[in-house]
Amino acid sequence: MHIPDPFMPIWQGGIYWIIALIFIILALKWARNELTEDKIPMVAVLSAGIFAIQAFNLPVGFGTSGHLVGGALVAILLGSPYAAVFVLTLVLIIQGIIFGDGGLTTMGANILTMGVIGGFIGYSSYQGLHRATKSVYLSAAIAAWLACFIAALACAVMMWLAGTFPLVPGLAAMGLYHAIIGIVEGAITAGAIYLLLQARPEFSEMVTGASST
Amino acid sequence: MKNQQFIIIGLVFAILIGIVAVVVASGDPDGLESSALVVQGQKMLFGDTPEDAEIHEEEEGRFSYESPFPDYTLGGEGGTAGEAAVIALGTIIALILALAIGKMALAKKS
Repeated sequence: MHIPDPFMPIWQGGIYWIIALIFIILALKWARNELTEDKIPMVAVLSAGIFAIQAFNLPVGFGTSGHLVGGALVAILLGSPYAAVFVLTLVLIIQGIIFGDGGLTTMGANILTMGVIGGFIGYSSYQGLHRATKSVYLSAAIAAWLACFIAALACAVMMWLAGTFPLVPGLAAMGLYHAIIGIVEGAITAGAIYLLLQARPEFSEMVTGASST
Repeated sequence: MKNQQFIIIGLVFAILIGIVAVVVASGDPDGLESSALVVQGQKMLFGDTPEDAEIHEEEEGRFSYESPFPDYTLGGEGGTAGEAAVIALGTIIALILALAIGKMALAKKS
């Protein structure tokens, strides 16, 4: 879902950068207010893990591959969508500048789709689903699927505004492929939450109860 | 699990994911690239990606940038080991950067 530079006019990338910067500032405020000695290692491990797993393209059928986005995972584990903005921004900066995965002028758009939309949809849908089902893993899996799917639709709309995709075929293709990729995202998110809570059980309070943003 | 132990185990696990990715990851285009091929008429929505399919990219009025390790490679050299090393490098940078910014945020708070 990393939009490369040629997919978008520079001026549109600039607009998305300005909007993304507002969320980046809020994410830095979150970091200053919420990060503790015990949360920093989790943020660091999630950053490293999401960087690595985003390089892992799994086959999803129809000649297409997909990888984890991770916004929902971070937001659920750290109890805030701004945590997802923080981690995804960091990962996308490294990917764009050093590895050419995602553009530089389009980095704001990528932060908006994967970090902001992924984080906020993942976090809010998890909160609602967890209240209704009481199941951490089922709620996390569905929330991660939704985060991936809706981020992809937002990306398709951006591509339409950029003149790169026609609206309906773009939404259909992005929606179909990411509905499948989202299943992988959901399964890995639930599995990763299980493993990380085994290693750091103190985060289970964040995952099961807290709703502070 | 103590913080330092958690960081080391987490980093090793992340690097292992990256190495496995280099060896077994799918070479098919990702969701966005596949969608581009579909809307450009080079791929059917439900069909496989033809081997000669290529995304036509607009160049006029678009930014262009050559990264040091394009597509997580050493630029055609180094083979699989080179790619694994490049992904491991990125994983370590992500971890160190997050730790550094986290520590800075903590220092500002106190």
